[in-house]
This record gives sequence, structure tokens and C-alpha cells, in this order.
Amino acid sequence: MKSLNELKPNSEGIVASIDGDARYLSRITSIGITPGCHIRVLKNDKNRPMLVFMRDTMVALNKEESKNIKIETRDN
Amino acid sequence: MTDGKKTIALLGQPNSGKSTLFNGLTGMKQHVGNWPGKTVEQKQGSFSHDGEEYVVMDLPGTYSLSANSDEEIVTRDYISSGKADVVCILADSSQLERSLFMLSDYAGIKVPCFLILNLADVAADQGKTIDAEKIRRKLGIPVVLMSATDVKKYDNFFAALNEAISKKTTLDVSALEERYSKLDGFEELKAEIPEDLIPGCSSTWMAVKTIEGDKVVRAKIENKLTGDSLVRFNSHAARFDKGALLTGECKFSWIDDLLSDSVNKVTATVKTSKLDKALTNKTWGKVVVVLIVIGGLLLSFIPAVPIMLLGSVFTALAVPVRNALNAANASPIITGIVCDVILQSLANIVKMLGFAFGINLVFGMFEESGLMARISYVFDNTMSKMGLQGKSVMPFLVSFGCTIGGASSSRVIDNWNQKVLTIALAWAVPCGAAWAIIPMLAANFFGPYAVLVIIAILLVMLLHIWITAKIFGRKLVKKEDRYGIIMELPPYHKPKWGAMFRFVLGRTKDMFFRVVKVIIPVCLLFWILSYSAGSIEGSALYKIGTAIEPVTKVFGMNWQLFMAFIASSIGKEGAVGVLTALYSQSGTIYGAVNGTNEAVANSTQLLLSNISGPQALAFMFAITFNVPCVVALAATYQETHSAKWTAIITGYYTLGALIISFLVYHIGLLIM
Repeated sequence: MKSLNELKPNSEGIVASIDGDARYLSRITSIGITPGCHIRVLKNDKNRPMLVFMRDTMVALNKEESKNIKIETRDN
Repeated sequence: MTDGKKTIALLGQPNSGKSTLFNGLTGMKQHVGNWPGKTVEQKQGSFSHDGEEYVVMDLPGTYSLSANSDEEIVTRDYISSGKADVVCILADSSQLERSLFMLSDYAGIKVPCFLILNLADVAADQGKTIDAEKIRRKLGIPVVLMSATDVKKYDNFFAALNEAISKKTTLDVSALEERYSKLDGFEELKAEIPEDLIPGCSSTWMAVKTIEGDKVVRAKIENKLTGDSLVRFNSHAARFDKGALLTGECKFSWIDDLLSDSVNKVTATVKTSKLDKALTNKTWGKVVVVLIVIGGLLLSFIPAVPIMLLGSVFTALAVPVRNALNAANASPIITGIVCDVILQSLANIVKMLGFAFGINLVFGMFEESGLMARISYVFDNTMSKMGLQGKSVMPFLVSFGCTIGGASSSRVIDNWNQKVLTIALAWAVPCGAAWAIIPMLAANFFGPYAVLVIIAILLVMLLHIWITAKIFGRKLVKKEDRYGIIMELPPYHKPKWGAMFRFVLGRTKDMFFRVVKVIIPVCLLFWILSYSAGSIEGSALYKIGTAIEPVTKVFGMNWQLFMAFIASSIGKEGAVGVLTALYSQSGTIYGAVNGTNEAVANSTQLLLSNISGPQALAFMFAITFNVPCVVALAATYQETHSAKWTAIITGYYTLGALIISFLVYHIGLLIM
């Protein structure tokens, strides 16, 4: 299991768990990221938000906050 | 429910096409203001259909109905206030699973509603087929599959609207409640919350919000409950940890079930277009964005120029009107007010509206097409350091050309506080008028050292932005309100020029009246102060200027420079003209500001022989960082809807320019 911010572009997996305060959890679920949802990393550049694809949608996420999202990847 | 008119509230996530529907319905009948007592923009419009009058409230685009932001609180409070007869919930058909979240979050609110599955054309292009009838049967409310961009095909929308209002259709939430009830401790918690404790909200809805850690809902419940019931409520509520994840899973499982037999599964693939590759490029992305914004600025002149030329008509009109008034022996005061104040202001206002129209059209297109979200992504890291969204980079870039455009282009910033902060910072960017006069002045006074002056101005600009971000940011975008980006990058849409054109035109009309209210009084005041029957010595401005000269000298300004400084807040282009007029004792101050004075020979020599080096240097900095111009002030008022914040920003910049002038003058004295 890895944190989302550690994943390289084009890697994908299933959201295993999400941490954070109530506000963060409410914001992240309302855009569609919940445990069990499939997610793919499109971009993970330095000094840029992450770019991921889930539920048919491209989403930009703050990298620091993405540490809170744990991903079960296929290869491990 | 205003005067027998039916009120519709539009509710949907960003990019669900809510604005498109709003514009499609209301056309030019729109009014933009702020929610009473709130710093959230309120868009209201009206239309009539089949002899019925309707009022449309465009609720802020939010991702949920939680209490994470003012926008969400405004949305929620409005719905539960019962002011809307019906809520129209929008979802994006091409991303149905995700965008139906708003519907699932609405479940339990008893205001009648219906569902619009918007962007049907995009979904069809992706090969998705959606059976709206099946969804309708499960939900118990009218469901319409449509494209809001296709304004001619709103028949189904109106049918659904009528049905929802006449039958007061409410959402069938049983399947979702069943899921919630399986959460450990949910039923016990729900049992403690009386139905309609918050008007129009079910116990289930309030229990869900409690679990999600919604402080506002929880406080309302705790306020109403007493004794044992309150104790039990709190102890049940405390059993939930990371509640938003639990309810989130229920909501999405309900949505999955809802769509299981009504939407064919098409495995969506991400197509990264060439444009996206260039925009999101690690090295070149920012350059591409800057080029796109500059391109947009140039493009905005195409629709702007014809309107701006119309403004020149008023300037041209001033000549025959003046002659006619003179011929009729009208008092010079009347002539002055009519020609110098009213006609000249109208010319400026029309030019500004033309410019703002072009900017809003082009940058509105950027927003509509999905480009703006990319710009936001690329500049997120840079701008978030100042508490701003990535989009805020645009008003900054545009302000190098013109602060009026900068303020206008801030319209796409969807958070009011961030919008005000952006404009406050963009004022520090030297505009085109400053660039037109400063390098020339600097070259006249300092020869080759002019380059250093320009570099120093750019450095002071960065420092100014940094300090202003600290001062204004603390109040406007508080630390606890700053959080990381979570934003959808929608697929590119082909924007609809026609609809956008009508909508922007409607807002420009609205803008005219607002702007007139600012510009005419300010110009009139300045005209009165500078008015003199004879020479300049007769004006109030002269008397005030010479009286306070001992004070202004501290800032490095004699009375002439100070007057030019004051005049530069009306328009920077005029600052040098005012100096020339004062030193050559010819023309009028007001004429100098508007460039209607006759040219003075050897004006450069005149300035060089009357102004010392340190004074000139201080003056250049003072006018660069002064209020950009009265029209930019009006544009700021137009976009912020706040006289208070416009006044604060204006006062701050006037004071700031004087402080900068003081510092530069004294540094100048040391080095020259």
C-alpha cells in the first residue's frame, strides 16, 4: 500500500483508506474519491498539484493532502 | 414565491452546465449582486413561459451541501428557507456517477425538485446511452436528459418544471435510507433528531450531516435538544469516526445502483490532448499559459474596438456642444460640466465597457471551454502561496496591459474573498498607462539610468504584492480557510459564442449603470476642485495644494507634483500633462488629465528645469503605485459589488503611493 503522492504517472490502484479532518474527508468524497474507488495517476510533477483520473473525471489534487490517500496498487 | 411568480433554484456541481442553463433561460434578464450579509455572489434572473413568470436563482456551484465554505452554507440556507418553489438539480451526463453526488447529498431535503442530466451531447459522443425514464421511476421525480447549450430544445425542461411544481415531486430516498440504516449506530442517532428540526430537512439528512462532522448542522441540533435527549444525541454522534467516508460510500453505492440498468458501461479512457500536454508540461506549462492569456487579451480587442470607437463619438461630440453652449452664452460652469465632466466621462465609460465586454467574452469562453481549469492547475502552487486560486494569475497578467481589464477578468474567480484579494493585488501591477509615461520620464531625467528605474519599479511591484497579500490576505482569506486544491479538469467543450455573447452583453448593460454611479461623481468632484474662472490659482485644488505643500514636501512633492499625483488617480496618462500645464501656466488641470489641452512646446525642458532628480524619481514611483485610474476603480466596484472594499483598496493605494514616494525621495536625496 502506498500513499497517492508516491505513485508514478500511469500507475493505478484502488483507494484503500483516506485520513484527514472532517472538512477534508467531506471535500474529497464530494468530488468522488471514496474507499474502493479506482484511481489512476496521470501526472505527478514537482511543484504542481497531482493529476488523477477517477469516476470518468480528471481531477487536480493538492500533493501534500494526497499523502492522506492510501492506494492498493496492482503490482504489490 | 415573489409576487405570485414561481421561483426555481439551480443546484449543481461546477461544470454541470448550470450557468449555461441559467443564461439559456434568462438571457439578458439577469441581476448580479451579493447574498445579503454574505460575501458570496448572487445571480438572479427571470423569464416567462406560457404566460407564467419565473424567477431563477443560480446557486453557487459547489461540490456538496456541507458547510465547508460560505458558498455551500448560502446554498443550503437558501434551499431550506423555502423561498424556492422548486430546486432544479443538475448533473453532468458524461460523468454521471460522480456528478450525481449532489443529488445524493440533497436526498432528505423536502423542497420539490427535479433532475437535469445535462451535457447529453457529450455523453452521446462518448457512446453512452442513458435511460432517463428508468432513473425517473427509481427517484420519483421528473428527470430530463438534455443539452442546456441547445436553447431551442428546452421543451422537456419546461414540462419537467411544470410537473415538479404542480405535483410537488420529492425525491424517493428509501433505497438510500436503507443503506444509511445499516451503518452501526445510525438508527439510534437518527431517533434523537426530530423531523424538520431544521425546516424542510428530514431526520435522516440531519443525521447524515452530523456523522459527516458538519459543525453548523450539529450546532443547530444541539441548540434545540435538551436534557437526556441531548446527551444521547452527543454520545451516538461520538461513535462515528471519519463519517464522511461512511456516508460517501452509501451515497456512491446508491448512485451505482441507480445507474446499474439505466446507463451502458463505457470504459472511459483519458485522452490527453496536445493542448493538455503543452499546458501541463513541467517546464513549458507556465509559458504556454502566459502566451494564451496574452493571446486572449489581444483577441478581446476584436469585439471591444467597435464599442470603444463608439466612445470616441462622445469626445467628438464635446466640440460642437461646447461651441453651441458658448454661442448660447451659457455659463462656463454649465459648459464645463456638460462637456468636460459628462461627455468626457461617458466617452471613458463606453470605452471601458467595450474593453470589459471583450475581456468578459474571451475569458468567459476560456472558462466555458475548460481552459481556465488548466490555467488554475498550472499556477496553483504559485498563487496558493498568497491564498489565491491558480486562475488569479490571469488578472495579474492582464493588468500589465490595463487594470480595468484585470479587474474585469477576475470575474471567473468563483470565491468572492479571493476575487477581492486578487483585484487588490492586481492594482500593484503597473498598467499600460504607467508604461507609456514612466520610461519616457525616466529617460528624460536619468538618461541611460532609466533602465535601473524600470528594474526598481518591477522590484517594488513584487514587494508591494507580497506586502499587500500579507495585509489583505489576513483579513480576506484567513489561514483556516486556506486549503489545497481539489478541482475537476473538465473535458474541453466547444463554447457557444451566441449564448455567451448575449449573456455578456446583458451584464455589460448592468455594468453601465453601476459604473456611471462611480465615475461621474468622482470626475465631477475633481472638476469642481480644479475649476477656476481665471488662472489655475483660482481653483480649490491650488489653494489646498499650496496650503498643504509643507506636508507634501516630506513625500518629495511640491504643490505642482502633488496635484499631478492627485490627477493621476483619475488617469495616469494625464499626470505629465498636468505638470506641463502647471509649469507653463497654460490650459487647465482637467483638460490636461483628459488630454484636451493644447500641446506645449519644449515641455520636456520645462519639467527638467523645475523638478529635481529625487523629486522626479519619487514622483514616478508615486504615480505608478497610485490608484490606477477612476475607471479601474469603477471596474473594481463592479466586480466586488462592495463600496466598502473598493474604498479600502483605494485608500490603501493612495497612502501606499505616498509612503513609497517618501522612501524613494529620501533614498534619492542620499544617492543623487
